[in-house]
Amino acid sequence: MTFEEAKQFLLKRANELEVDAEILADETRELTLGAFEGRLAETTQATRGGIGLRVVVGGKTGYASTEERSEEALEWALREAKENAELQSGGDGFIPAGRALGRKDLLSEGLSAPVEQKRETALELEKTFRQDERLKQVSLARYSERETSVSLASTKGADGGYRTGSAMLLGWFVTQQGESLKEGIDYRATREYHSLEPGRTALEMLERTTRHLGAKPLATGKYTAYFEPRPFAQLLSVFMYMLNGKSVREGKSRLKDKLGTKIVSEQMTLVDDPTLPSGLGSRPFDSEGTPAAPVTLIENGVLKSFLHNSETAKALSQPNTGHASRSYKSTLGVSPSNLRLSPGDGVSKTSGVIVTDVMGVHAGANPISGDISLQALGLLVEDGEIVHPVDDFALSGNLLDLFARISNLGSELFWEPSGTGTHVGTPEIEIPDVSFGGS
Amino acid sequence: MLPSTLVENVLHRARRGGADFAELYVERWRRRQLRVIDREVNEATSGIEFGAGLRLFYGTDVVYAYTNDLNEAALTELADTLARLRGEGGEVDASGAGGLDFRKATPTGLHAPELDFNMHPKRYRLERLREADEGARIAPEIQQVEARFIEWEQDVLVANSEATWTEDRRVRSRLVVQAIAQNDSDVQTGMYGPGLSRGLELFDHYPPKEAGRHAADQALTNLRAKKAPAGTMPVVIGNAFGGVIFHEALGHLLETTTVAKGASVLSDKIGEKVASDAVTYVDDGTTPHGWGSSEFDDEGAPTERTVLIDKGVLKSYMVDKLGALKTGYRPTGSGRRQDYTFAPTSRMRNTFITPGDTPKDDLFGGIEFGLYAKSLGGGQVKPGTGEYNFAVREGYIIRNGKVEEPVRGAMLVGKGPKSIQKIEAVSSDLETSPGMCGSISGSLPVEVGQPHLLVSELIVGGEA
Repeated sequence: MTFEEAKQFLLKRANELEVDAEILADETRELTLGAFEGRLAETTQATRGGIGLRVVVGGKTGYASTEERSEEALEWALREAKENAELQSGGDGFIPAGRALGRKDLLSEGLSAPVEQKRETALELEKTFRQDERLKQVSLARYSERETSVSLASTKGADGGYRTGSAMLLGWFVTQQGESLKEGIDYRATREYHSLEPGRTALEMLERTTRHLGAKPLATGKYTAYFEPRPFAQLLSVFMYMLNGKSVREGKSRLKDKLGTKIVSEQMTLVDDPTLPSGLGSRPFDSEGTPAAPVTLIENGVLKSFLHNSETAKALSQPNTGHASRSYKSTLGVSPSNLRLSPGDGVSKTSGVIVTDVMGVHAGANPISGDISLQALGLLVEDGEIVHPVDDFALSGNLLDLFARISNLGSELFWEPSGTGTHVGTPEIEIPDVSFGGS
Repeated sequence: MLPSTLVENVLHRARRGGADFAELYVERWRRRQLRVIDREVNEATSGIEFGAGLRLFYGTDVVYAYTNDLNEAALTELADTLARLRGEGGEVDASGAGGLDFRKATPTGLHAPELDFNMHPKRYRLERLREADEGARIAPEIQQVEARFIEWEQDVLVANSEATWTEDRRVRSRLVVQAIAQNDSDVQTGMYGPGLSRGLELFDHYPPKEAGRHAADQALTNLRAKKAPAGTMPVVIGNAFGGVIFHEALGHLLETTTVAKGASVLSDKIGEKVASDAVTYVDDGTTPHGWGSSEFDDEGAPTERTVLIDKGVLKSYMVDKLGALKTGYRPTGSGRRQDYTFAPTSRMRNTFITPGDTPKDDLFGGIEFGLYAKSLGGGQVKPGTGEYNFAVREGYIIRNGKVEEPVRGAMLVGKGPKSIQKIEAVSSDLETSPGMCGSISGSLPVEVGQPHLLVSELIVGGEA
């Protein structure tokens, strides 16, 4: 069966079984071209897609998915979803009333270029890496692109779809100077293939990494931390757990009772905007069919809103912000799209540590307690000058406490990958008296 | 899962562009997950993954494609697309033209479940998860308990142009309990997550009530813990999941994926002393019912027990097919992939440090001030530099040879090759523990393990 036929089949069967059902199908096409020693050493072309079912029977919700589109597999998924729903002892689950949403194309001609040209892109990235005499080895130099088509339908009338996608350069390499080794893992993503500049990007990636060569240990102590936008984007993506309506509903957010109160520095204003034209996290509607709109989460340090889908909004009697997220394989969740922290008046670096990279965020940050302890790299600053790079240290604290003590924000906004798929825009950030554990 | 004539035809067509090697991987995977919060079903989900991956080698260059469409027309089109993607080389008469005489291998059932997933209804799992919840309610501070049960049944077929035809079936289950403890000022968590290549008998091996209590104990310990100190100090690392430090700091550096490109700090070091005498490090894909075990790897080769480091001397890397081609080392049955959407690379299976002979108490004996990292969370490594980090999930101060007050929020950081030189003593209480390992070929079930051991100095990131 095609996706469209499978969708129609499931809607019909759901109606026959008198269950409410929401069907989410997505299909992704991917092309990856990897260069090594001047050759195209790695080529991947792929399509993957599946159908995810959310079924509600008498207020009870169950899920199932299948990548196999035979009648037998679809029947299995429907039966499993219904059985899964019936495991709940009760509930106020529902499929929201939907409407025709149309078909949108966010990608347009963004990835249109001959594959030969894309091969050259990967080769140029690798070649530029190798022109640097400090380069020891290239682990990956890749061009990759993906194009995703999302389609939504429900027995409550939702019906629509959209296409989105991105092109990406990925560099992973090791540089060396004397005994000092530093490794870079870096990427740039865009909606437009033609805006990629592999040569220039390779030089930027090299610069970001080689500035750490010759790093010295950092003495344990408290320093003013100047976070570059990229590591700060990672902290923000951990922090988002606390603003997620699902964590709030499950009682796992420390901010659950704090709406309308000051929770962080009054210099912080945080907005999520799924409508940004160039935003990699943009979408015309969320995974339940709620149209996209910007929402202010924090305004001058005051908590204004959580992110919600229809289920978390109803449970907490708060407005649905249209942040439902679900892939065909997952259950209904909540996630940000393009997150933007407003810039401030500027940061002047007098004395402290410029934090350039944090590692181990998945293990070293506890989103429930907000405690973080992260391995980091940085540059030591004294009297307004960079003295030398520093490594072998971890910075620690609690996110809520750190964000409350932000003293300055940079005046320029940078869009960064956060590691969790969210597109994050943030300026650089200054926080005094941060704990650094080193030698 | 597919007729051999179709498989043969696909392999043959794929090689028409001059590929030296072609491999087809086909998979059907059935998964279920039941998630219970405070005794109520929060989410129950089931899924079928179904797809095929086709891989070609041209020398050491790799071309890979995957699809969910497994009918004959789609698979032959995939083969043609792949041959075209390479965009060079003429038509050659593939060795398969005369027909591949597949050598068929099937699993013997070494890791097969005793209690298949269809032996009990879904409600049986729910009752066990409610027992885990009950086991965790040991103090009023335990505010919330989340228990999950994950079950996987994965059927794979690997066939290649060297006439390999391997079928394997992997059945795995895992119970994960998370307890949240809260008082007026603080929220802390504890986690316990046993998993094996087993069916529903997992609940007999790890009674849910005890699993719940383990998670709750840890959450309560963290709630009364002070912030960890910062600085360089001796560290005793606990057994079982403590082994994650060497998974990160050492294991990843021994995979040919990075070794072959010279991108590992341990490239070209076979026969050299890379760790202290106390260290023997083994990667074993054959441990019966191990979380990371399987009878065959994802390239169709039988798994084996590979001694990586013997008394400090590097003996072997973990070698997949492409790694063998690039380095000349013998393949070790280590080619693994998350699913059909990834080409396989060399990966760990069940990796552990073997028991030593130092009594556990003696590890603490000479320490004036240090950290006891009893249980660890996840970590990360950069293989090119060996820089690693991992979080301490349950930690205590060691003072004058004694384990004293609990501390939380510690992160251990360092450079792998340096740290393994500093392992001073290893005790005899080896245990292993399951985890999920993420790398180039996706997220995979692995076991990590070790006995308690003493590292003379590590950097601890905590409160300065």
